[in-house]
Amino acid sequence: MRPLPFAWRSLSRQPARAVLGLAGITVVGALLFDMLMLSRGLLLSFREILESTGYDVRVTATDALPGLGPPIAEARAAARALGSLPEVADVVPVRFGSVSVRGADGRTASVALLGTETRRRGEWRVLRGSDLVEGTEPPSIVVNRAMAQELGAEPGAVVEVATVLPAQPFRVAGVVEFPFETAGEASATVTLDGFARAVGGVAADEADLLLVASRPGHGAEAAVAAIRAARADLHPFSTEQVLERLRQGEFSYFRQVSFVLSTITSFFAFLLVTTLLTVSVNQRLGEVAALRALGFPRRRIAADLFAESALLVGAGGALAIPLGLALARVLDAILRQMPDVPARLHFFVFEPRALALHAALLAGACLVAAAYPALLTARLPIAATLRRETLS
Amino acid sequence: MSAPVVEGRHLAKVYPMPAGPVEALRDVSVAVQAGDYVAISGPSGCGKSTLLHILGCVDAPSSGDLLFEGRPVAALRDHERTRLRLRRIGFVFQRFYLLPMLTAFENVEIVQSEAGVAAAERRARTAELLAYVGLADRAAHRPSQLSGGEMQRVAIARALANRPALVLADEPTGELDDETGEQIAEVFDRVNRDGTALVIVTHNPALAARAKRRLHMRSGRLAPPAREAAR
Repeated sequence: MRPLPFAWRSLSRQPARAVLGLAGITVVGALLFDMLMLSRGLLLSFREILESTGYDVRVTATDALPGLGPPIAEARAAARALGSLPEVADVVPVRFGSVSVRGADGRTASVALLGTETRRRGEWRVLRGSDLVEGTEPPSIVVNRAMAQELGAEPGAVVEVATVLPAQPFRVAGVVEFPFETAGEASATVTLDGFARAVGGVAADEADLLLVASRPGHGAEAAVAAIRAARADLHPFSTEQVLERLRQGEFSYFRQVSFVLSTITSFFAFLLVTTLLTVSVNQRLGEVAALRALGFPRRRIAADLFAESALLVGAGGALAIPLGLALARVLDAILRQMPDVPARLHFFVFEPRALALHAALLAGACLVAAAYPALLTARLPIAATLRRETLS
Repeated sequence: MSAPVVEGRHLAKVYPMPAGPVEALRDVSVAVQAGDYVAISGPSGCGKSTLLHILGCVDAPSSGDLLFEGRPVAALRDHERTRLRLRRIGFVFQRFYLLPMLTAFENVEIVQSEAGVAAAERRARTAELLAYVGLADRAAHRPSQLSGGEMQRVAIARALANRPALVLADEPTGELDDETGEQIAEVFDRVNRDGTALVIVTHNPALAARAKRRLHMRSGRLAPPAREAAR
């Protein structure tokens, strides 16, 4: 009988212990899998959102993240200059602001307002109605679902930006979804001219951010280098560079938490299997000594233990995946309730790498866990054990 | 004349203990020929099991020489001794030590599987051995479904599975009642009659009386009056 079927029989000999062990590995494995999904989940999710806009370079006036530093002056000229670079396919200036908007029924809401040009790529997704257009009177505005619901701002309706006097009317062109909108937060986008009207007193030719799409065949890094060379006063970041900054800064907390918890859960998996196998071996020392006396080599006894460990960890690890995915959905929903988290951002993201790492860590735990009981049986003095077992 | 199956010359075994070394065996010389049937008896702690373990190559003497089929066992490496036990020696234990998760058939088959015997051959041999010990109808039963005597018969079948030259039994009737012990003794008689050398350590006088030679041990030595007493 080969070690694997032999191990299966050994486990089925004490089904309650095997089931408890399996349950333990499954739970620990699920936590491990979740921590591995968390370790890069935010970055993967953030990358997906960034890439969904269709722009792979972001340009700001300083090293600060978009919206957190001073605006770029003479933004239209800067956009034209960057747009003329051979490495650049497209440039769009963006302004950020916060305004108070009154709906047709008199209700008001605080709205995060973006000023930009009409949509060229994936800046937003039209859900109903039509898209943002230039040169209409009153100016056009696209709103997200939260704002539409809060102010009854459906396509065709007129809303007023009440932050300035006199209040400025805007006609709702459509209801859209923005990549970075946060759950429940009202947000809207207008043209740059519309933005100047809405916020009043703010220089019209400024931008908090220039969204740049690199020309196909050149790539983001080439576009960044070209922008740096052309305009040393500007600070371009490729998507990779933005993600790297987030990885080392804002997202590092989750990475560290995930690293610590992954280490702890791997250790728990190791402890659990070691304990189960060691207890099992100690309960059958006489049997092991008898097998050795009958001519079973040490490596066979060790192979049986490794197979037992592999069965426990393999089955538990496999069951851990659906459980981990289900648990991740719950934990993700809880974490996404944190304020200012974009609705499309996820903390736990499945990727094949997490699965491979999960399998590798559990395989490592399985091997290390079986090592001690295997050593125990390999060093077992046959005669002394048989004598002791007979006397006991 | 061919070499004895196993031969111990001036065997001694000393166990280091906190209170000082304990001499379990002192200058014991014994030879077991092919077809021999030897019973070793003596008071508890006199060194019977130690001698049996040394003859079975599961323990090494502190001094003296052990030869198995003429080859010095001390010269063998660990895996060679293990292989020797698997192929040439059978063990029967007081507590049977059958694997509880395997059937009687599988318990007998597994040692042949470990020795690399082909599946068809080992299945035939296993069926033959279970019939030999009178358990053909219990092949599919697990140890928990067998009586003590049945378990010991399975253990004897297991010991014979790889056609060993020598079977060693340590108190094989120690856990059995007299009547069942008698049945086991009869199985041993048959095993010996069929040509396998037997060495049995026992407190059971009825079992010892069936042996061709009876050795008596006292304080780690073979006691002179009973030494090499012919049956």
